[in-house]
Amino acid sequence: MKDAINMTVRILPPKKDAVHMTVRILPPNLINQIAAGEVVERPASVVKELVENALDAGATHIDITMNEGGRSLIVVSDDGAGMDDRSLALAVERYATSKLPDDDLIDIGFFGFRGEALPSIGAVARLKITSRTREGSSAWYVMVAGGRRDGPVPAPHPRGTRVEVRDLFYATPARLKFLKAARTELNHAVDMLNRLAMAHPYVAFTLNADGRTRLSLDAEIGDLFDARLARLGAVVGKDFIPNAVPVDAGRDGFRLTGYAGVPTYNRRNALAQYMFVNGRPVRDRLLHGAVRGAYQDFLASNRHPYLALFLECPPQEVDVNVHPAKAEVRFRDAGKVRGLIVGALKHALSEAGHQASTTVSDAALGAMRPEGARLPQRASNSLFSAAQAGQAPLHSTGPGTGLAESQMNYDGAPTAAVIEGDDEASADFPLGVARAQVHETYIVAQSEDGLVIVDQHAAHERLVYERMKAMLADKGINRQLLLLPEVVELDEAAAQRLVDRAEELAELGLVLEAFGDGAVVVREVPALLGETDVQGLVKDLADEVSDFGEALALKDKLADVCGTMACHSSIRAGRRLGGPEMNALLREMEHTPHAGQCNHGRPTYVTIKMTDIEQLFGRR
Amino acid sequence: MKLIIERSALLKSLGHVQSVVERRTTIPILSNVRLDAAQGTLSLNATDMDLEIVESALADVGEAGKTTAPAHTLYDIVRKLPDGAQVELAFGGGSQLTLTSGRSRFQLACLPVDDFPALAPGDYPHSFSFAAADLRSLIDRTRFAISTEETRYYLNGIYLHAADSEGVNVLRTVATDGHRLARVELPLPDGAAGMPGIIVPRKAVTEVRKLIDEAEGEISISLSESKIQFAIGDTVLTSKLIDGTFPDYERVIPTGNDKVMETDCKTLSQAVDRVSAISSEKSRSIKLNMEKGTVTLSASSPEHGSAVEEIGASYDASQLEIGFNARYLLDIMQQIEGDAARFTMADAASPTVIRDVSDGSAVYVLMPMRV
Ligand SMILES: Nc1ncnc2c1ncn2[C@@H]1O[C@H](COP(=O)(O)OP(=O)(O)OP(=O)(O)O)[C@@H](O)[C@H]1O
Ligand SMILES: [Mg+2]
Repeated sequence: MKDAINMTVRILPPKKDAVHMTVRILPPNLINQIAAGEVVERPASVVKELVENALDAGATHIDITMNEGGRSLIVVSDDGAGMDDRSLALAVERYATSKLPDDDLIDIGFFGFRGEALPSIGAVARLKITSRTREGSSAWYVMVAGGRRDGPVPAPHPRGTRVEVRDLFYATPARLKFLKAARTELNHAVDMLNRLAMAHPYVAFTLNADGRTRLSLDAEIGDLFDARLARLGAVVGKDFIPNAVPVDAGRDGFRLTGYAGVPTYNRRNALAQYMFVNGRPVRDRLLHGAVRGAYQDFLASNRHPYLALFLECPPQEVDVNVHPAKAEVRFRDAGKVRGLIVGALKHALSEAGHQASTTVSDAALGAMRPEGARLPQRASNSLFSAAQAGQAPLHSTGPGTGLAESQMNYDGAPTAAVIEGDDEASADFPLGVARAQVHETYIVAQSEDGLVIVDQHAAHERLVYERMKAMLADKGINRQLLLLPEVVELDEAAAQRLVDRAEELAELGLVLEAFGDGAVVVREVPALLGETDVQGLVKDLADEVSDFGEALALKDKLADVCGTMACHSSIRAGRRLGGPEMNALLREMEHTPHAGQCNHGRPTYVTIKMTDIEQLFGRR
Repeated sequence: MKLIIERSALLKSLGHVQSVVERRTTIPILSNVRLDAAQGTLSLNATDMDLEIVESALADVGEAGKTTAPAHTLYDIVRKLPDGAQVELAFGGGSQLTLTSGRSRFQLACLPVDDFPALAPGDYPHSFSFAAADLRSLIDRTRFAISTEETRYYLNGIYLHAADSEGVNVLRTVATDGHRLARVELPLPDGAAGMPGIIVPRKAVTEVRKLIDEAEGEISISLSESKIQFAIGDTVLTSKLIDGTFPDYERVIPTGNDKVMETDCKTLSQAVDRVSAISSEKSRSIKLNMEKGTVTLSASSPEHGSAVEEIGASYDASQLEIGFNARYLLDIMQQIEGDAARFTMADAASPTVIRDVSDGSAVYVLMPMRV
């Protein structure tokens, strides 16, 4: 104790050399290294800058090579416009660009505009550029290493440009340390290339990694929609093509095009959502929020759609220069963009109507194909057992047993009810005419060009849900007034955001007003929610309004209640349905928007095309 | 430990005790009942750390001793023994309790009795007693309004306090879920003056309520700032109190409402029940349109259609249409024992006060719904 009291606080003497420090202008190489820190984060960013340059140069064929995840070597060669010796020398200088002819940062029609990429790369790696213009009689190259330029020197090279980047980050060991495993770095680059490739379907891309072809995308032909869909299929996977619906909407000089996956074709994360603004791949919360908003009625909150959306807009409406790697954008009128996206997606999805994913039936069909054997001996068996494992619990209808024949259930009850002599023209109905109910769970219908299997519970639940939603929209939401109004403390900005939207919230049944600075008082709540956690709800809303510009939490909650109620008043699996009942269900599904998926994004029915069935039996 | 006890006595005690034991708990010993045999009584004890119950039953104790055994299992076994059976419980200090009855024999895993938690004993500076029927009426007419929303924990119980009601000293119970409120009062019993206002948690209310049904005569209540204890017959129930501030409820009970409607309680309940059957929503909404001499109840649902019913009422004020959650309305009507209910209202957006015309001890406040 004594010791502690006797201790004195000592002031440290000033450091001698610190006093002599002076302000100085940084040498250019250091500036470039600092800039590189922002522009060149990892090999994928080098690839991105170089490919963008190639695209800016009008290339139709771009070949990329990466060794050791890009750490030892990155090469990008193109057949674009090329550079003459003078441009070549300038290209590696900082702030030298050919792409801002009239010094207007607003009108950015090219990927590049800063004149920063090549010098930045030159500052952290050994850079060699060889290029030849259309008219040029010879090619030239320059080399940059450690900030020193060599050349231009004449060299043999065909028309176009080849950029070679060796020993990335050799000059900045600190960055080198942060590189991940080669495979991870390569994957980042592939993801990046995929995005660029989607935006440029007429350009062919190849990627060679450590001697192996990792990517090979031919130039697509046809109109932009066809070319894009073909390219999307090549990148995302062939399944995307039959499961995608076109999006095409415009408003005030904005145009949104692309493809949206049907809700039943979904995945666990949001990684397959590709978005482009004026051809630039972006990851943007606003855009993702809009997608979530558009799909929220069809997908459980932990499932995500596939989609690729291309937004074109007047350059002055969007600021692309907010992120060093240009991955984020800022819109002048975010609300407008959001509205456009949500509207366009909802429209596209309802156009698609009750289309359910074909992947499920494809998977089942795939499983049906007999292994090895040429004759589909055990075909039906393997189909149904696979379907069982894969998705719906459709039990085996044994070989040789037609659906029309009764099959014994575990408890010995007949499990297939057959409708006889119903010769209605199935051609008039997209979902066909009910032929049988199997296992008191699935309706089997014959459509003009195949077979439709409907999950009766899921389908009916969806119908009830849609009805309930229409009712709410029609009648308005009943509100319970609060005897004890609840004061919710928020930060000032959040409270203001909510108050600004008070009107919209009131339509959803939540009535609140400002309560001093940084708090709101809630006076009425949607009666549907019963006694609910008002504090939690309002806080979630405040967050969401800032993230997504929409009151998703409240809509989610209301939809949840509707969903639960829909579920309770739906016909269950296990109820026997008569022919008229089944047909009525089919007809209502045809007339209800979004009947193709249940409230959780699973399909309510699958179709198996006649051609597929014929193929199974070797008739085609 | 060794004792013989009648099945019916053991079953009754275990029935009370096991009801306090949570079905799911992460602390194994909390699933157990503590058994303590001495001097002609078996005392049984269970707790969930917030609520503790101790009950004693007469037994023929051959050898004193204590242990703990799984409460629900023990209860289940005793329940399934034949009526009139004798049960022998024996524990020799090992890890098993032996239960023998007739030709049945069970070995139950025990946990050390020293690990069994006990609520810290405390002083109970305030104590008073109450007729069982009175306590029942205080509880029954308020507990329907207890909030179930856990984020507002201070509403998850009944507020019990001494108050001055127009010059009369009363003991009051109040509960509210923020949509409706119930306030019931009875003359202040001796010894309750000066007691603090306390919030008795829902689980304690539920357990006390179960015990009251079997009890006769007086129930004694002791309390401190943090705990309450009920002695009901052979059972002592001790509960921690909710540590929070109950809202200033007086503020939300309007005093200036001037539109008065009186009607037969049963007629109104039945009409509400019928008319609201049409609405498919969870929050069955119903509208009451009050005009001279009548109340017209109506509800509609775009799916099912609409319903209207007119009932007679005494009403003299200007016409008023007001919406309610039908379930809330029925909950309140159920508490009214007299023939007539009196509604006093201001407008369709302010709290409505409902009372039993023949009994001033309870006040119900219901917030309308915008339909
Ligand atoms: N593959 C190429 N083909 C033809 N010219 C190119 C190529 N790559 C670069 N250039 C020329 O070099 C210049 C500098 O390229 P750099 O990438 O450093 O800057 P930028 O593309 O103009 O802007 P940013 O820094 O935003 O990418 C470009 O403006 C362009 O004129
Ligand atoms: Mg560039």
